[in-house]
Amino acid sequence: MIIVLLLVPLLSALLMLLWPRIAPLLALLSAAVSSLFAAKLLLQVNEQGTLQWLLAGWPTGLAISWQADSLSCLLILLCSILQLLVGFYAFATRARDQLSQGFWPLSTLLQLSLTVLWLSRDLFNLYVCLELLGLVAVALVSLSGGKAFKPALNYLLLSLFGSLCYLLGVVLLYAVYGLLDIKGLAQAWQADWLSSCALLLMSLGLMLKAALWPLHAWLPAAHAAAPAPVSALLSALVVKGPLFILCLLWLQLASVQQAQLVAPLFAGAGLAALLFGGWSALRTPFIKNLVAYSTVAQLGYATLALGLMLKFDQPLIFAALWLFVLAHALAKAACFLAVGEMSATLGGKRLTIVKGASQTMPLAMFAFAVAGGSLIGLPPSGGFVAKWALLQGLWLQGELLLWPLALVLATLLSAAYVFRVVVVAFDRADPVAPDFAPQLLPQWLALLPALAVWAMAMFSEPLLLLLRLEA
Amino acid sequence: MSLLLFDALLCLLLLALALASMLSRQLTHAVILYVAFGLLMALAWARLAAPDLALAEAAIGAGLTGALCFTALARQGAPAAALKLSWQQRLWPALFVLLMLTGLLQALLQVPASAGPIPEMVMLNLADSGVTHPVTAVLLNFRSWDTLLELLVLLLALLGTLQIAPVPTQQTSWRLSRSWSELLAPLIILLAGYVLWAGASQPGGAFQAGALLAAGAVVLKLNQQLSWLGWQNIWIRLVVVAGLAVFSLVAVLAWLLPVPGVNVVWLRWPPDYAKYIILLIEVFATLSIALTLTLLVVSEQPATQLSLARENETGAGND
Amino acid sequence: MTELSATFIVFAFTAASLIAIGFYSFITGPEPLRRILALNIISAGIFMLMVVLAYRGYDDTAVSVGDPVLQALVLTGLVVAVSATAFALAMLARLEQQKPEQQKPEQNRVAKSQISRPEQ
Repeated sequence: MIIVLLLVPLLSALLMLLWPRIAPLLALLSAAVSSLFAAKLLLQVNEQGTLQWLLAGWPTGLAISWQADSLSCLLILLCSILQLLVGFYAFATRARDQLSQGFWPLSTLLQLSLTVLWLSRDLFNLYVCLELLGLVAVALVSLSGGKAFKPALNYLLLSLFGSLCYLLGVVLLYAVYGLLDIKGLAQAWQADWLSSCALLLMSLGLMLKAALWPLHAWLPAAHAAAPAPVSALLSALVVKGPLFILCLLWLQLASVQQAQLVAPLFAGAGLAALLFGGWSALRTPFIKNLVAYSTVAQLGYATLALGLMLKFDQPLIFAALWLFVLAHALAKAACFLAVGEMSATLGGKRLTIVKGASQTMPLAMFAFAVAGGSLIGLPPSGGFVAKWALLQGLWLQGELLLWPLALVLATLLSAAYVFRVVVVAFDRADPVAPDFAPQLLPQWLALLPALAVWAMAMFSEPLLLLLRLEA
Repeated sequence: MSLLLFDALLCLLLLALALASMLSRQLTHAVILYVAFGLLMALAWARLAAPDLALAEAAIGAGLTGALCFTALARQGAPAAALKLSWQQRLWPALFVLLMLTGLLQALLQVPASAGPIPEMVMLNLADSGVTHPVTAVLLNFRSWDTLLELLVLLLALLGTLQIAPVPTQQTSWRLSRSWSELLAPLIILLAGYVLWAGASQPGGAFQAGALLAAGAVVLKLNQQLSWLGWQNIWIRLVVVAGLAVFSLVAVLAWLLPVPGVNVVWLRWPPDYAKYIILLIEVFATLSIALTLTLLVVSEQPATQLSLARENETGAGND
Repeated sequence: MTELSATFIVFAFTAASLIAIGFYSFITGPEPLRRILALNIISAGIFMLMVVLAYRGYDDTAVSVGDPVLQALVLTGLVVAVSATAFALAMLARLEQQKPEQQKPEQNRVAKSQISRPEQ
């Protein structure tokens, strides 16, 4: 089963290179098949418990190990479903937006590289996955040509730098323990100077790649420069890969002392990201940059949750972390698709183009507002469920003042930047006239993930249960 | 003692070259110094009992990267006036790097003096791997998944490069260089074949052979002798993806057609056939690597559907 | 626990210094080409560290070459590094080709206002 999930995207990407004519069809087909199998895998893992593999049948230590727990399966499913959705959007708008043929194999390979990343539990294999992810992401950004090259090059260089920092950490760990397998390392782990050094180096690299504050400066330019479907994929999925590895490192490897020491740093960085990202989103004149800065801010929630998890070791906070990631992925995909649709139809990049969009393009605006509601955390959306889980976790730990207050402040900021767009859109006095009749299908496709994130609230109970078990 | 002196001298030279390359005023000097640095690095690795890596570093690290950098230099216009950095712009990075360096040195002193358990495990299982050279066994049997992904990284770099590759600059080649390259080509093919074959038992293997082949092809291509070598050619595309395709198809076959007595695991080669499987994968991987590296070095904008349209001639490259 | 050999210390410290040189140059160096070279020097330093770690214990065990796993990892890393470098250099070359096109209208007074507007 798991093999199909890897082979289908790989072989279809190779076929796409040979026969570019059928590429869109193959990409959609492969995403659909992967979604089916990912759902089946999730059900299987739910029934039978975590699956583990030692590749090529060699003993532990020698072989690369894989693990499919419910979190990995959930992320694989998310990946393939978003891939399918964005694929449909790209297919529906391909003629209008002059999307390069290169999009299809690259997006399929993006799905593949994320899938292998969620599965791998081997430090060096994760490095190769990281490089793969970085290269695909940059190639996708550079698809929009001309003006995208500068941010894309910057992204590439920083991403390579981040991977090298990570690799140096891996080498240091291998030097001491002679192991690359995360499980084996966790057993042999000693909290000494060297392992702290390695962890810090790896975290530096991963934080750079995941655009966590204060290493986020490359993200808004790169994500805003990419074509709309690519921005959706990048913001929704790509930055989550390094975050996943970061969680693996700190939650599975690091000793309690190390985790306690670094917890306030992560929590502080998360808080700073929330405030800074929110503030920048309030100030930027460009609508795509606004959405990109909101990604920086929303990643702050995840960092904050990671810091609090390290501090309190409360399963509920861990569940909150991944609920944030899931809710953000769906909401951000909807936001970027809606904004891309509005920018293409209304012609422009500034925030002022959405003036009167509630009248001219009500569906896209509705999608943005609904997704924005989840970003703010309005009940009963996915964002609300995540925030509620976080608050509940804090409450169980007896933290009633400082962190909840910070969360409220961050919520207000995100409400401010979402309403900044909505207010302009409802200004119907002198609406911006569309360049051509708005297309309905892409707008519906933008609305789908926004509705899905609100539907998440209905499944909050099983989701919480699933994720709490993984902590 | 004299060996230690040699080591110290080598290390000093390496450091001096790296520093000079980073601090030199002109980029041309920086690239030349970097190539020299790469060659010395290969020497250092040969000294450290890693002949496989020395071969690869000389071909890939110094040779191909050098060729790539020179191509980039040639495409670069007049050098921009060097920007002067203020002392604050130098001080903070320097402090950060010094801090990191002290931490790193401190950490390196704590490294245990003997290797972990894995080298012995490799030796124990070497007999079942199908090859006798341990590095090849690790690459294509114990950790073959890494190698598959690495081929994918190579392919991705090519895809990215093709879609942004700049306009080719017309160059004419010297007649002398043309005739030399004609002489050189068959020799290189022969040598690459040998390196590939030797990989099963001695230093050598797919990557080194691929890099060698690529070096030969680059020389020929730069002399305009391989006009058919381009992404538009379906056969070229077929060979570029062949490495990955054969690798994954063989893996599927090994997975679907289990040999009795061996339980089925993804990427497990049945011990009796492992040797042939590895050789098959290596041959196609070598060809793919060679072509991919060649196309990476001589990347020109081909008129394919992959390439992005230029702003001033929208649609011309995007049929 | 046995002592670290002098060879190990010499090479490992050189590798660490190379990494530091690369880090510094990557962070400060303004020209993209030099930053790409700096990345290559960092990776060369890391690979050298891996090679010297593989060499550890080479003299006193029955292993005929150094740690083969580390050596294989270096080979993988080398190929990954060269692919990434090639991609970065191609992108740089394309950026350089764009520059003259952008600089020309800058001399033109009329077009200047359009260029100087921040393009995002």
